[in-house]
Amino acid sequence: MIIENILAAFVELGTIKTFILMMVGVAGGLIAGAIPGFTIAMAVVLTLPFTFGMPAPQGLATMVSVLVGGLSGGLMAGILTGIPGTPSSVATTFDGFPMARRGEPGLALGIGVWSSFSGGIISAILLVTLAPQLARIGLEFNPWDYFMLVMFALTITASLAGENMVKGLIAGAMGLLIRTVGEDEAIGMARFNFGSDTLLQGFDFIAVLIGLFAFSQLLRDVRDPVAARKSLTDKGTIYVRIEHRRAVREVLKRWTIVVRSSLIGVFTGILPGAGGSIANILAYDQAKKASKHPEKFGTGIADGIIAPESSNNAVEGGALIMMMALGIPGDVTTAVMLGALLIHDVIPSPTFIAEEPLIAYSIFISFFLATFMMLGLQSFMLRVFVLVTRIRMYVLAGVILGFCGIGVFAINNIEFDIWTLVWFGILGFLMRHFGFPLAPMILGVVLGNIAELNLARAMAITTDISPFFTRPWSLFFFTIAIFSAVFPLFQGHRGKKKWTLFYLPVACFAVSVPLYMMGGVTRPILATIVLAYGAYTLWRRAQGGWQLEAVKRHDLVEE
Amino acid sequence: MDRLNRDAIIAIVLLVFCGVFFWATFDIRQPDYGVLMPSTWPRAILGILSFLSVIYLVQSLRQGADETELEDTACEPGIRGWVLYWRNPLWCFGLFFVYLATLPVLGMLIGGVSFVFVLLNVLGGWDRKNLVLHAAVALLAIGGMWSLFTFGLGVLLPPGMILGQF
Repeated sequence: MIIENILAAFVELGTIKTFILMMVGVAGGLIAGAIPGFTIAMAVVLTLPFTFGMPAPQGLATMVSVLVGGLSGGLMAGILTGIPGTPSSVATTFDGFPMARRGEPGLALGIGVWSSFSGGIISAILLVTLAPQLARIGLEFNPWDYFMLVMFALTITASLAGENMVKGLIAGAMGLLIRTVGEDEAIGMARFNFGSDTLLQGFDFIAVLIGLFAFSQLLRDVRDPVAARKSLTDKGTIYVRIEHRRAVREVLKRWTIVVRSSLIGVFTGILPGAGGSIANILAYDQAKKASKHPEKFGTGIADGIIAPESSNNAVEGGALIMMMALGIPGDVTTAVMLGALLIHDVIPSPTFIAEEPLIAYSIFISFFLATFMMLGLQSFMLRVFVLVTRIRMYVLAGVILGFCGIGVFAINNIEFDIWTLVWFGILGFLMRHFGFPLAPMILGVVLGNIAELNLARAMAITTDISPFFTRPWSLFFFTIAIFSAVFPLFQGHRGKKKWTLFYLPVACFAVSVPLYMMGGVTRPILATIVLAYGAYTLWRRAQGGWQLEAVKRHDLVEE
Repeated sequence: MDRLNRDAIIAIVLLVFCGVFFWATFDIRQPDYGVLMPSTWPRAILGILSFLSVIYLVQSLRQGADETELEDTACEPGIRGWVLYWRNPLWCFGLFFVYLATLPVLGMLIGGVSFVFVLLNVLGGWDRKNLVLHAAVALLAIGGMWSLFTFGLGVLLPPGMILGQF
């Protein structure tokens, strides 16, 4: 049945016109994703009117192409300018930009391109084969679970701040607070508008993001008058060549990061509201935690580019499945896709894939094809885009500041958004200067309304707060949030304090509890494996007389 | 000012900020319906933020003055030194504010081109060669972007009082 649907979709999409439209869509998406202030959502929205006259599979394929192109385009800006072109490539800048600045922009871009491609392909394969099963997981989530998921995401980003965990948490809480300005999500009451009608609508997320990241980064870049007059690579007009072969080798060497990050991306995409902006940071965090050299993250290493880029391309696959299976958009871009389906009189519901297999599989296949097109086209587009590295920093900064103004205005066509941009630019600049990480704040802004809405829904069902800690998924997210929060402390004390010997076994025991509670067959088996692993680790440590030797060996390796 | 004092001051500012916003939550109208009141969520966040700020304050007081920001040592003492050190970001902010304030008159095209042109000259120097280059860059970059949005994407950007007459 699946094969038949795939073949039917191939036939439907296999026209020259559709291919040309998809190519244009990918190219447009790449450009849109690369320009800070010109978001993927905006590109997809602007594509929407052009698809009115097309058959549904063709129109949706074009939009998917823009989406896939946009997801990958963000890495160009992120790596070359340090400003994420999209929220999905925020974490790419952490290592991509330092690598480019170190004089290896070609390698950084190559790694980004091939990681994006790998993530996209893994995601596409998973979607086509495992879509219905993956969608079932999201079906189990209730408001308590969503709320805990948001809390988990925030603690993870705060833990990214490492030694500045408190500053990270403060930034996250500030982000949540920023989102409360304006009318509240549940019943529309005015909050913190201080009598201003303009503030009633709240701050636009894109304007806040561009202000916090772009504006503040640009100002830091031009702070030093001498450095500002140098080019981005500090070497004037160096020749930049995308090092495909070396990049492929680097990516293949780290295939575990690719697979893990892609799985994180797909899983995050399935969760409503948790899109690429979370997945890329989550994957980066997990890669950092799994690394033998976490201290090298942020200095320009390949692992730090592979993880976010694999995940952010994989995330949209999951988001699309959720949208098609349940009618719940995984993020803003899939919300626009949902709008596109409605325009073509297709109402996404749990029976959508069964009732409209041609359209559903056309989306899957176009996602697959667009990923291949992205690889070919991005190589070409990058050759154009790397030219920006030859431009002097102050020229780039001045022009991008001008672009930001226009781009931010175009989101809602209101001047207030530009004011938002500049005020949050000042805030971001101060936060960077005082050592506050921006990622938790961004995440707080993105997830604030989701958290509040789900809290309101949970409270509407029952005022009892125990489900937050007794429901399996809720407890699962709560547990991993706690262990994620403690992780920086664990890392700092590993090899020095005895309690760190119990961290992993206790984490395994704790995680196995909600897995057992979920019931069924697979999850209790998984829980048993996790539990057994925890017990085995504990037994080995007991056999070793509770010595810290394993950690000491790790330290020696690092030395 | 060393890091100890600076971090402590930031923590105190955060606590004052929390206080002001907590006070503002009493201005939020409480409807007769709904279980989660509109002020509950902000108050919960402010409670957490205040708690974290107290921890931050305690941490900064315990930390001592051993981590002086190296970047700041390049800044000469006094207001003049501070302004000189931060002159480029200050120019950027200042010019952006002027750009925004004059937007209703100049519009996005003239205002944007002027903003980028002046900013590039301020940051890169006012010599004759640069003037031509910066003018070309400002015109092509902002003009191109404006054209793309206006003609390509159909976004109605503010024309301003000058272009609005045509």
